[in-house]
Amino acid sequence: MADMKALQQERIQLFKDLYDNKLPKRVPINLVLSVEFAIQYAGMDLAQAQWDTSMLEIAFDKMCGDFITDTNPAMAFRYPSYYKILGARNFVMSSSGFLQHPEVHGFETEDYDYFIQSPYDCIMERVLPRIYTELDTNPVQRSIVFAKAFKAFFDDVVNGNIIIAKLTEKYGFSPIGGFDGFCEAPFDFMSDQLRGFKNIVGDIRRIPDKVVGACEAALPLMIKTGMPPHPPSPYGATFIPLHMAPFLREKDFEKYYWPTFKKLVDDLAASGQSAYLFVEHDWTRFLDYLYELPENTRMMFEYGDPKLIKDKLGKKHILTGFYPITLLKTATKQQCIDKAKELIDILAPGGKYMFTFDKNIITADSVNIENLQAVLEYVSENANY
Amino acid sequence: MVDLNLLTQAVGDLEEDKVLDLLNQFVATNPTEEEAQKVVGACQQGMALVGDLFDSGEYFVGDLIFAGELLSSAIDILKPVIGSGNTTKIGSIVLGTVEGDLHDIGKNIFKSMSEAAGFEVYDLGIDVSANTFIEKVKELQPQVIGMSGVLTLALDSMKNIVDALKNAGLRENVKIVIGGNPVTKEACEQIGADAFTTNAAEGVKICQGWVS
Repeated sequence: MADMKALQQERIQLFKDLYDNKLPKRVPINLVLSVEFAIQYAGMDLAQAQWDTSMLEIAFDKMCGDFITDTNPAMAFRYPSYYKILGARNFVMSSSGFLQHPEVHGFETEDYDYFIQSPYDCIMERVLPRIYTELDTNPVQRSIVFAKAFKAFFDDVVNGNIIIAKLTEKYGFSPIGGFDGFCEAPFDFMSDQLRGFKNIVGDIRRIPDKVVGACEAALPLMIKTGMPPHPPSPYGATFIPLHMAPFLREKDFEKYYWPTFKKLVDDLAASGQSAYLFVEHDWTRFLDYLYELPENTRMMFEYGDPKLIKDKLGKKHILTGFYPITLLKTATKQQCIDKAKELIDILAPGGKYMFTFDKNIITADSVNIENLQAVLEYVSENANY
Repeated sequence: MVDLNLLTQAVGDLEEDKVLDLLNQFVATNPTEEEAQKVVGACQQGMALVGDLFDSGEYFVGDLIFAGELLSSAIDILKPVIGSGNTTKIGSIVLGTVEGDLHDIGKNIFKSMSEAAGFEVYDLGIDVSANTFIEKVKELQPQVIGMSGVLTLALDSMKNIVDALKNAGLRENVKIVIGGNPVTKEACEQIGADAFTTNAAEGVKICQGWVS
């Protein structure tokens, strides 16, 4: 136990050094494996264990013991219980038992004015009953459904968090290095959850001013959502997955996406909370914009030239990602290790780099487990400063 | 008769109001089916311009999504005057988002662009099982199967579907293209598809190459 405490302190120090602009002892590893991965890896049934969350402790424990990482790899983010109670259209399970977000919308063109005037009321009164079909009923029944859903939400999330905290102590993981909050860029929030991708690309042509107004109206909501439920710390971070920018022309990005996204990250930083961006798809066109974000913004890249991005952003921000997880499925063990070496040689010099993959690993069969373990072992032993 | 070049250009420029105005005016003239087919052709050529502008980096995925919507609004306006239409198709594609994955934006972009290029597309929807693919391939005998997916778990499903097609003796007679965020050259080889792309416009060109 004392050994685990010492290991945990060592790991915490890696991340403190990383965020304090010092060279850590070695490159920290921030592996994230989904709840679905954990369940499959433990040989459990995906459909059963996502509902009976008491099974998760065994699944997470096995995963924490078998993969080398400096932060707890278990990510329990969404559970089906409350989506089912709500009759959700925005988070739906596929035939293979994998919960995901299909293209839906619950916000009509005529809702823009009300949203701009009063975004929270508009979401509560108009959008939620369209996205969550069980809320589309009389006020009494709606209150009961809402209360049941929140009870299920807190039961599952709290249970998951207790398990994860216990395992963090058991395996000596660093409690810092990941993220402790979540929100979206206002334009992404409009696109993902409210209008849908298909509608928003029409809206920016037909009613551009309203889209700008709606992003501005959504901004305070996103700032509030993104703040953690405890005082911010320079070692915490709010996770913001970035979706629409690579699908936009630069002039549209400048007009619709960037202003409220930058304000979001700036305002979080001004309150002492950093952002952990999942820079999805290819942001090569927008690297100069990303440079403008507050120092030490964490950026997990899915695509792009690591050398170019290290040169442009690596002195100011903390970089991670890049390693293509599909390689873990298709390449030999040696090729997988060589890729890790190649990326570390480019990204580690000068610090401000932690190791993770280009995407979170969402299912056990999407990678070759031996390759994954070999890469993690290689990084933990060879990426020393 | 509407100025076909003007129409093609307006579709290519994604000028929705102009396209819809031109088409509404055209339909009001009570045109013949033959004239209507020429107008459909002009809209489809506009989609080819959109594909070119995407290739050259002037347009992005958002523009492709919008172009698909624009084309479908255009066809809706033209429907009453197109008639039953014996238009020649250049080939047929059975298309679907593979089992386990519910994402369909990319698939729908590919669908509208390949229809505009003259393919008959049978869209099986999302979360499509190997059995559904097999039944449809037996029934329709397409030249091409298009499999789409966004999540990395889709790669395993694609492989299962290709294996199932082999076991059913259907693999040899059809070309398979896979598309979506996680596909790579290596994944394509492992899956046993004939081609892969993360770019819908390129996917259409691959299919055109197969049927020409």
